[in-house]
Amino acid sequence: MGRSSLRRWTAALLILGACAPRHRHPRLVRAPSVTDDAGRTVTLAAPAQRVVSLAPSSTELLFAVGAGRQVVGRTTWCRYPPAALSVPVVGDGLEPNIESVAAVHPDLVVLYRSPSNGAALTQLEQLGIPAVVLRQDRLEDVARDARLLGTLTGHPAVGDSVAQTLDVVTAGRPPVAHVHIAYVVWDSPPIVIGAGSFLDQLGTLAGAQNVFHDLRPASAPVSLESLASRNPDVIAVVDDSSAAATPSFAQRPEWKAVPAVRAGRILHLPGDLFGRPSPRAAQAIAAFARLLNTAK
Amino acid sequence: MKWGGLVGAALLTLTLAVVLGPTRIPLGELAGSEIVRDLRVPRALLGFLVGGSLAVSGAGLQALVRNPLADPFLLGLSGGAGLGAVGAIALRLPGPWALPIAAFAGALAAMALVYRLALVSGAALDPRVLLLAGVVVGSFAAAITTAIVSLSEAEQLRNAFLWLWGGLSGASWTTVGVLAVYLPLPLLLLLGSARSLDLMALGDEPAGYLGADVTRVRRRVYLAASLLTAAAVAVSGVIGFVGLIIPHVGRMGWGHRHRTLLPVSFLGGGVLLVLADTLARTAVAPRELPVGIVTALIGVPVFALLLRRWVRA
Repeated sequence: MGRSSLRRWTAALLILGACAPRHRHPRLVRAPSVTDDAGRTVTLAAPAQRVVSLAPSSTELLFAVGAGRQVVGRTTWCRYPPAALSVPVVGDGLEPNIESVAAVHPDLVVLYRSPSNGAALTQLEQLGIPAVVLRQDRLEDVARDARLLGTLTGHPAVGDSVAQTLDVVTAGRPPVAHVHIAYVVWDSPPIVIGAGSFLDQLGTLAGAQNVFHDLRPASAPVSLESLASRNPDVIAVVDDSSAAATPSFAQRPEWKAVPAVRAGRILHLPGDLFGRPSPRAAQAIAAFARLLNTAK
Repeated sequence: MKWGGLVGAALLTLTLAVVLGPTRIPLGELAGSEIVRDLRVPRALLGFLVGGSLAVSGAGLQALVRNPLADPFLLGLSGGAGLGAVGAIALRLPGPWALPIAAFAGALAAMALVYRLALVSGAALDPRVLLLAGVVVGSFAAAITTAIVSLSEAEQLRNAFLWLWGGLSGASWTTVGVLAVYLPLPLLLLLGSARSLDLMALGDEPAGYLGADVTRVRRRVYLAASLLTAAAVAVSGVIGFVGLIIPHVGRMGWGHRHRTLLPVSFLGGGVLLVLADTLARTAVAPRELPVGIVTALIGVPVFALLLRRWVRA
């Protein structure tokens, strides 16, 4: 996988190179203006050249739209693509430290849309640092934000092509679901993935029907009883580490009431591909389908 | 009559908790249902034990510190348990019981620290010093918790806080069994101090003249109430309002004698928590509300009504 992703990044860089002359020319570039996911209008004098990204998903997206070299700050958790590791860390992204963000002199800060980022947004506005608020939960969000970040960083064509690739993937006809699945993201209390999440989408496109598809949010606490009575064929968990250990909740007596847990039918989704919505959706769906087939 | 009503309410809520749930199970199939046997029944029993323990602990602490605002979490135990739980999550302690054990250890550590600090005032545990020590230790633990949380990953943070809001999703026959073995000792310790607690309401000196060993009673009540709360928080997080409101309701209906008040509180606390948990499981099914929110939503209006009647009468 490492090599193929390297090849893809090389390809992205080549596309970037092809586009570069057009967009680097200041007179030909109009002042980019977008409406972000919080409904704010973000207008820049010129495409951003020093971008701080405060969420792993936007860091990955910035690199994907060819703006990797313009990223001057990231969070501790932005570890993909590998090239991102050489970008200085400005904090953990939860309650952004505006001083360390301002210290790298950004001309654009990308924030995840969450209540705890509200104060940071106000502070950035007071400092005159443009900020864009993104919320990536489903694949459509990733496509929209690819266009948006492409526009803001002066790579509209690459942003557009990333978005189109995702559009093709999401518009694809899902295969007939042959597995019922539940995604357990936490065990005390039990929290599962609902229809609002990219995981639900990836699963559907890979042939797995989420038994909690009727829940609209990306995730929600549910009763263990609902999980037991909806009786999924497999339980999916997203693993940070590559070593797929049995989750500790599977050993708890009350979880044994869920037949899939009792039978040990646990599907481990690797965190680097499934931990957040990403432009690598096609790759994720293929990997998902393979995992489903081996699990059967 | 009043007793019959209370016992009847307890039986009724326990029955409701077993019959009602997010899954529709016909009455005839209840007995054979795995969901009922392995999830609903232990959860109802655990809810009753936890609610009862919190209410008894609250009644004991209100008498101990002579403050109607006292509740089981006033003396820093929630802070200690929260620190233990968040620490276990942040350190990724392995094993299915890591979280409850760490929370229990945290609560006991806070209890020991508060006790040690309160001893500064002398062996008799001055209630004011005890309160201050509890608040200080709780704040200190909360500060460390927040430091850990702000240094760990986003998802862990949200999950740790959800755990702290309280819930009975961890109920199983194992947890019920553990509590059934553990709870009798602190409950009997408190019940054994009932007469001394009555006397202490008169003030330390009169209580002493009437034969209460104030120093020993205070220590015993403090330790027993803390042990009850520590066990409750370990299996169900921080569930508010039960320990605050139920003892007051009990005093309105049954008077101030602790020999009556403590058992009444146990039954009342059990009823309130089981009722609240049934609502938490079914109101927005298949989703689940944090039970602490429901105890407040039910408990506060009921309390307000009773308070009006009580003041008028």
